[in-house]
Amino acid sequence: MDTKELWDHCLVEIESEVSKANFSTWFKNTSLVKEDAGTVFVGVPNEFVKDWLSNKFHKLIMRVLRNAWEHTRNVEYMVVKGDPKSHKIEVSSQLKPDFAISQELPLKDLYVNKDDNLNPRYTFDTFIVGPFNELAYAATQAAVARPGKQYNPLFIYGSSGLGKTHLIQAVGNAIKEKYPEKKVYYITQEKFTVDYINSVQSNRGAGNTFKEKYRKYDAIIIDDVQLVGKAEKTQEELFHLFNSYHEAGKQIVFSSDKHPNFIPGLEDRMRTRFAQGMIVDITEPEYESRLAILRSKVQELGLNLPDELMEYIASAIAGNVRELEGSLNAIVLQSQLKGRFPTLLETKNLLKNSIKQKKTASVKEVVKTIADFYNVEEASIYEKTRRKEIVKVRQIVMFILREDFSVSYPLIGQKLGGKDHTTVIHSCLKIKNDMKNDMLIAQELDQIRALFK
Amino acid sequence: MIFETTVEKLITIIENADRVTARNASLPALSTILMIVSGSSLKVRATNLSLGVEFEIPVKKEKDGVIALDGKTLYSFLSTLPKNEKIKIAHNESTLTLTTDHNRTTIKTHPYEDFPTLPSVSGTQIQIPQKEFIRGIKNTYFASAVSDIKPEIASVFMCAEKNTLFFVATDSFRLAEKKETIKKAVEFSPILIPYKNIIEIARILENKTEEITLSINENQIAITIPGIYITSRLTSGSFPDYKQIIPKEFLTEVVVLKQDLLTTLKTANIFSDKFNQITFSITPSKKKFECVSKNSDVGEYSGVIDATLSGDDVSIALNQRYLIECLSFIPQDSITIGLNGGSKAVVIRGVGDSSFTYLLMPMNR
Repeated sequence: MDTKELWDHCLVEIESEVSKANFSTWFKNTSLVKEDAGTVFVGVPNEFVKDWLSNKFHKLIMRVLRNAWEHTRNVEYMVVKGDPKSHKIEVSSQLKPDFAISQELPLKDLYVNKDDNLNPRYTFDTFIVGPFNELAYAATQAAVARPGKQYNPLFIYGSSGLGKTHLIQAVGNAIKEKYPEKKVYYITQEKFTVDYINSVQSNRGAGNTFKEKYRKYDAIIIDDVQLVGKAEKTQEELFHLFNSYHEAGKQIVFSSDKHPNFIPGLEDRMRTRFAQGMIVDITEPEYESRLAILRSKVQELGLNLPDELMEYIASAIAGNVRELEGSLNAIVLQSQLKGRFPTLLETKNLLKNSIKQKKTASVKEVVKTIADFYNVEEASIYEKTRRKEIVKVRQIVMFILREDFSVSYPLIGQKLGGKDHTTVIHSCLKIKNDMKNDMLIAQELDQIRALFK
Repeated sequence: MIFETTVEKLITIIENADRVTARNASLPALSTILMIVSGSSLKVRATNLSLGVEFEIPVKKEKDGVIALDGKTLYSFLSTLPKNEKIKIAHNESTLTLTTDHNRTTIKTHPYEDFPTLPSVSGTQIQIPQKEFIRGIKNTYFASAVSDIKPEIASVFMCAEKNTLFFVATDSFRLAEKKETIKKAVEFSPILIPYKNIIEIARILENKTEEITLSINENQIAITIPGIYITSRLTSGSFPDYKQIIPKEFLTEVVVLKQDLLTTLKTANIFSDKFNQITFSITPSKKKFECVSKNSDVGEYSGVIDATLSGDDVSIALNQRYLIECLSFIPQDSITIGLNGGSKAVVIRGVGDSSFTYLLMPMNR
């Protein structure tokens, strides 16, 4: 029985029978927690709602549930804890700047839950969705909706500082919130490895405590899993852990900075298992998303940063989210020192080191780098040969020159052995199309581009 | 319903009930207060689904009845009347008629069918004296976070160890802890009461003297004294382990008269910047305690405070507002300020009193 579907169905029925005000006051944030031998447990946000539902709406709920699921015998109500939506998040203007400039008390555990290692601050509410991560976001939503069923394992990869940890922790927090009886555990691969080594050291032969420790959860989230490639034995342990979770239909979420195919030292059996569920990537955010992220960070800090400054930072810092945050912090610090926000000019000076220089490279360098990458003779690129492997590399060179270095078509043709500009246009289009159809080419291009950074 | 009472009896409970009602609620009943007359008493109930209150007073009754109405209108009307005036209240159809010797008014009533019941709480039950409970709350809640981003610190933390009750609040920039000793040892699992609710609880119980009964379960607390029932949801989550961050030893210690410090701080405030920043230069080597504030648009101030100093020289920037706030909760005439360098938390206590501890982080300069 899919409890969510059942409850959604019931809510539709209930909505048509009670007034809108009543519905939004009493049925918002309710859920169907579980079903036990005909008794259905309805989760409510607080005791007020529990009281009122059981006094006033019990008959209605009972009837609707019976209609939807004939085995319903009884309905009970239970308070489901920690629903952040029930108390609205308000970042009011009362948060004066003095909050931002005082130092915080070193209350470390305020931010991390000891039972599951999850940081409650990482939720979907605070996650900014843009074109660069919407696929990954959608996949995580599906995983939360049906943990262990839809995408198992869920594998999220992307370069560092793009919000992978936030996203996978949000999955954990959302599962916890939605299914209060499920136990979620978050761990970084590094800690997992250390834990394994410790268990081997302290308890020769009997590694069962380690196994037990990790198998008692209903969902596990492993961050930076690419590190497992370096540790052979840990990889085996992870392999068994994976199997036990997968067989039991428990959700597994991984994050990594590389696609499984490019994690060095990863065994094939791990690779195929990662590929079994859903693999999604997070790319770098584009301007609008960067601006949205900045705005939300600024709001979190309770500052009134002028729009023009935010727009400047968003346009100047093209890299990852972490760099954005760093630049923002630099500006906040500057404001604290001076007691006012820096001007646009000061900001430009402040950030000039963080801004990546516009990429420049001579055609020769580009050809050399790409030829080296594919391990072909540099000279053969300039020759008029039509050998298949050379043609492909040459096309990629043209594509990169055009797309990344904005060299004109005729000039590319001229430099690469006097080709016509239409040949260059054709090559670029071809690679563009290939990229869409051939994952391998797309991956190779990513790696080549990384070489020019 | 028809009953008679005095303005004085009615006005306090109407005011307190009205403060609890939900503003802008989608359910209209939540913005009204409910009045029930039965037996020989009047019950007034209000709730915003986070906090709920019910007051009961004896009245001279002629007829039972239930109505819901806008509490603000009723309170505004009552507040214009002399305190000891008798008032007769009668309900007919959709209006409530109030008659006194000199005034007569009718107030529109609202449907009461949708008015929620207040949950009763079965769970751990404890009795504590009103004085200690209210003092514990009032000494700490001002330090809790106002915004709901981190609900666990937008709350006052309360726990017990044998005969000692602990009240703690923090907004992560400063922290206030109050210990109250009570005669009878109590036992309950630690709770977090939402900041917005605790203000109302303190207001309502402030002038009472009766012993308070608390009933606590995992999600809800009920507070009862004769004639008053208050129930609040509890914040879920755990309060940070704060005890470890309270320093036990200090590199520099200052003992100063509270009034002297307060006067200097107030003067310094005229010249402090918009972040309320002031700087203490504490130099035991020269026996000098100086308070400096600077605002490029206004001017500068420096004041020397008489104090007993010991330990290392230190200079520290603090938020003047946070400092002044805590002083009113220290009953002693002189206070001690403990410091561990310019970038570590400052501890403020009354001299010879460890029941109230205030921890304040310095500002970045």
